[in-house]
Amino acid sequence: MNANRRQILGLGGGILAALLAGRRLWAQDVVTISMKGTPRGENTWFEPNGLAVAVGTRVRFVNDDPGNSHTATTYHPDLYGRARRIPEAATPWDSKFLLPGQSFEVVLSAPGVYDYYCIPHELHGMAGRIVVGTEDDPGWEGAAADDDLPDAVLAHLPPVDAIIDAGAVISR
Amino acid sequence: MFGKIASIALTVGILAAPGLAQDLGAAPPPAPYVKVADVLPLPEFLPGLGTLYVDPDTLPAGPFLAYDHDGKLSATVYMTPIAALEGGTAYDDLALGAATVTSVDIYYNAGHPGVEEPHAHVVLFHDDGAKGRLAE
Repeated sequence: MNANRRQILGLGGGILAALLAGRRLWAQDVVTISMKGTPRGENTWFEPNGLAVAVGTRVRFVNDDPGNSHTATTYHPDLYGRARRIPEAATPWDSKFLLPGQSFEVVLSAPGVYDYYCIPHELHGMAGRIVVGTEDDPGWEGAAADDDLPDAVLAHLPPVDAIIDAGAVISR
Repeated sequence: MFGKIASIALTVGILAAPGLAQDLGAAPPPAPYVKVADVLPLPEFLPGLGTLYVDPDTLPAGPFLAYDHDGKLSATVYMTPIAALEGGTAYDDLALGAATVTSVDIYYNAGHPGVEEPHAHVVLFHDDGAKGRLAE
C-alpha cells in the first residue's frame, strides 16, 4: 500500500467555484487532520474534528495512531449505502484503511458542509465535520438532518456556526 | 484450604480447555490460526498486544494468540463486543494459548479492523515479563 494516497476530486469544479466566489485559486494550502488514538485503543478521534476551510482547499488525513488503522469516509449512498451528508455537487471520498504513518489527500471543491467518519470507529463516535466556504458561496449546502447517525457520532459533530467562528474545533 | 482447592480446580479447568493439545508457544501457531496482519489492515506488531494470530472461525471473541518480537507466546487475548454482552451474549469455554496465567488486564477498546465496534479486551499474560515485551 502506498505511503501516501492522493485523490484530487473535482478540480475543475473547484476552479469554477473559486472564481465565482472571488477567492484566491491558490488558497489550496494543505490542511492536516490527524487520526489519533490512545495507546490501548480506548479512545480514537479526528483532530481537529471540526474544521473551516476555503473552497478548493486540499485536506490531508494522516494516521498518527501507532496502534490502529483508520479511514476517513464521507457519508454518501455510493459508499456503503449511507445517507448523503456532503454537498450534492461534491464527489464522495473514502481513504480506505490507513496504517500508521499513511495519509490521504482530497481537494474540497464544492462549498458546504462535509461529514465523514472512520469505518471501524463510527460506533465509538470517531467522526468529523468540514465546513467549506460560507453560506455566501454559490451552491452552498448546509448540514444534513441529524438522522441515520449513531448517537456517538452526533455527539462529536460540532455545530457549523461553532466551526466557522473558531476555524477549528477539537473535542475528544 | 479453599485457595488450594481453587488452585487445583483452576488448573484442571485450564488443562481441560481446548487449544492446549497443540504447542502454541512459538510463532507461528499451526493452522487454522492466521496472522491478523496478513488478513486485516492492521500493523504487524500492535503496541500492547504484539503480533496476533487467530482462528477466523472464533471471531470476534478469539482467542487471539499474542507473540512478542522473538515469537514467544506472551498472552491470550479475547475481544468481546459491548453491545453483544449487553444483549445477553455469553462467551463460554474459550480456548487458552497456555496454561500459565500470571495476570489479566481488561479494558475498553473503541474498535479496529476485524472487530469494528466498541468491545472489551481481556488479556491473559502468560509470564511476568509478557506485558513489557508486548508494550512496543
